Amino acid sequence: MKMVLSQRQREELNKAVADYLCSNGYMDALEAFKAEADMPGEIERKYSGLLEKKWTSVIRLQKKVMELEGKLHEAEREFIAGAPTRDKRSPAEWIPRPPEKYCLTGHRAPVTRVVIHPVYSLLVSSSEDGTIKIWDYETGEYERTLKGHTDSVQDIAFDPAGKILASCSADMSIKLWDLSTFECTKTLHGHDHNVSSVTFLPTSDFLLSASRDKSIKMWEVATGYCVKTFTGHREWVRMVRVNSDGSLIASCSNDQTVRVWLTQTKECKVELREHDHVVECVAWCEGSSAASIATATATDNRRPQNQGPFLVSGARDKTIKVWDVGVGMCLFTLVGHDNWVRGLVVHPGGNYILSASDDKTVRTWDIKNKRCQKILEAHTHFCTSIDMHRSAPYVITGSVDQTIKVWECR
Amino acid sequence: MGSNPAIVPTPVEDVQGDGRWLSMHQHFVSQAHDLEPDVVLVGDSMLANLQITELWENWFAPLHSMNLSVGGDQTQHVLWRLHNGELECIQPKVIVVMVGTNNHSHSAEQVAEGIMEVCKLLNEKQPQADIVLLALLPRGEKENPIREKHRKINEILGEESKKIERIQMVDLGRDLLQADGTISHRDMFDYLHLTHRGYRRVFQPLHDLLTQMLHGDDSHLVNEIAAATHSTLPSPSDPASVAAE
Repeated sequence: MKMVLSQRQREELNKAVADYLCSNGYMDALEAFKAEADMPGEIERKYSGLLEKKWTSVIRLQKKVMELEGKLHEAEREFIAGAPTRDKRSPAEWIPRPPEKYCLTGHRAPVTRVVIHPVYSLLVSSSEDGTIKIWDYETGEYERTLKGHTDSVQDIAFDPAGKILASCSADMSIKLWDLSTFECTKTLHGHDHNVSSVTFLPTSDFLLSASRDKSIKMWEVATGYCVKTFTGHREWVRMVRVNSDGSLIASCSNDQTVRVWLTQTKECKVELREHDHVVECVAWCEGSSAASIATATATDNRRPQNQGPFLVSGARDKTIKVWDVGVGMCLFTLVGHDNWVRGLVVHPGGNYILSASDDKTVRTWDIKNKRCQKILEAHTHFCTSIDMHRSAPYVITGSVDQTIKVWECR
Repeated sequence: MGSNPAIVPTPVEDVQGDGRWLSMHQHFVSQAHDLEPDVVLVGDSMLANLQITELWENWFAPLHSMNLSVGGDQTQHVLWRLHNGELECIQPKVIVVMVGTNNHSHSAEQVAEGIMEVCKLLNEKQPQADIVLLALLPRGEKENPIREKHRKINEILGEESKKIERIQMVDLGRDLLQADGTISHRDMFDYLHLTHRGYRRVFQPLHDLLTQMLHGDDSHLVNEIAAATHSTLPSPSDPASVAAE
């Protein structure tokens, strides 16, 4: 397609080109150009840097246009269809919607992780201020603070019954807290560097931790002994998560890979490489979400081919990837976040993946259609962590802005 | 060559006796241990003061930036800091350099060599990073010998930087000079340091550049736009064009 410029536009473009040549020192070309374009004399100041400005602003404007079109489209859809009301919501479809129900303040440094209690209406947050705080997400009330770590608390996890809370810290220790007395019952030492992630096995008798010392360790909860060490990652291990029957362990690392390990033998079953920056987070996709993934990848008129197990990972390359661990392949990539992806949670209904990012948003991704369903402007600074209740309509997020937000789903 | 003081790593002499310079250096070393920046800024007050503007929060913090700049530093001081731990434990994608305006006792050639030495050290210690070398900004309300010296330094840097891969030199100061050649106090309140307005004018292009370098996937956007603007503009009601992104 050919474009035609008006006489005035052509003159302007010529002058902008001449300014570009001049300011970059292409003097021979400039003289030749001036002669050919029949443009004697000095170039006026107003053309200074014009070409560069147009060159960069076009991208910026186009991005803005796309962003606004997205917002408009969503607003239109909600206006026509209407967001489902409280009573009409179905647990499989509900997703977090603005405005937030509560904004909880109290931490004195960025919030690193937020988790929901499996039984009671409590949420727990950890922070770079070295503390762990407990809140009631139904009333928005602050409950108490757990102190003990001497450096940034990096991750927290409940055992499946919700009786023990595990925390890990840059002080290189892991602590176990009894939730009936809120006392620290054990402190586990063994890692040689910052401990970045912690999680319980489904049986509650063992605990996994991941560290900047490149290893993953398994600990016996009753004795506090380290019983296994998984080695293989070449750099800092950022997160470790175990599947629902406890047989597989997924981990991700600064070495830009995701690994899956066999719990029994410590063997690395598969190494997944496709991210091209630090992989921040992983989550297992099981049950109904596995069915959604199989549907998403099924070709027309065929039975779903991918058997799983499935895993989702988020990275600093701004992408979210869904993997088939069985065949060791990336099935699809969710692109949309404009900064590091920091947190992931699979919607219990199985239709969505929710992600938290340094672009300050939370996004809800429709798995079957492999696209972003909803963007939530969540915080005023990096959004570091997200969790969702398994049966009640609540999503919680934590941020570098030091707040925790509780979102109701509709 | 060995006689050039601008390329010999030297700690700042603590003339005032409050030890601030060393404290800042130690703070940077400990920050480097914990922060995982994608962008690192290395230099003197011109970059250091950026941190106390709202632009830092709005533009540079979201890029995961770390600022290793100290007011008053000359090239040899920056070299000392970089040699002594500030570059350990980090793996940035881009490093921005602006230093040299404080090297008052050195000739233009010496200062330029000092600046190139900083770039070479960065290149050696952080081979994965791209280096954005910022030209020295003009200073003084009216034309003066230091402006002339800066022009000369920038000229040498322009030539020298071409010899090293992964270095891009950028001149952000072009807009600072008004039509009559003076610098406005609205841009530089003391005719050396930038005001908020000055930072906004001078550093917006840098922010654009860094964004493009970090998220280098914009070129397809330009092509798409070129294609799209020729035919019909995408209709706002067409979700496909949005979803495709």
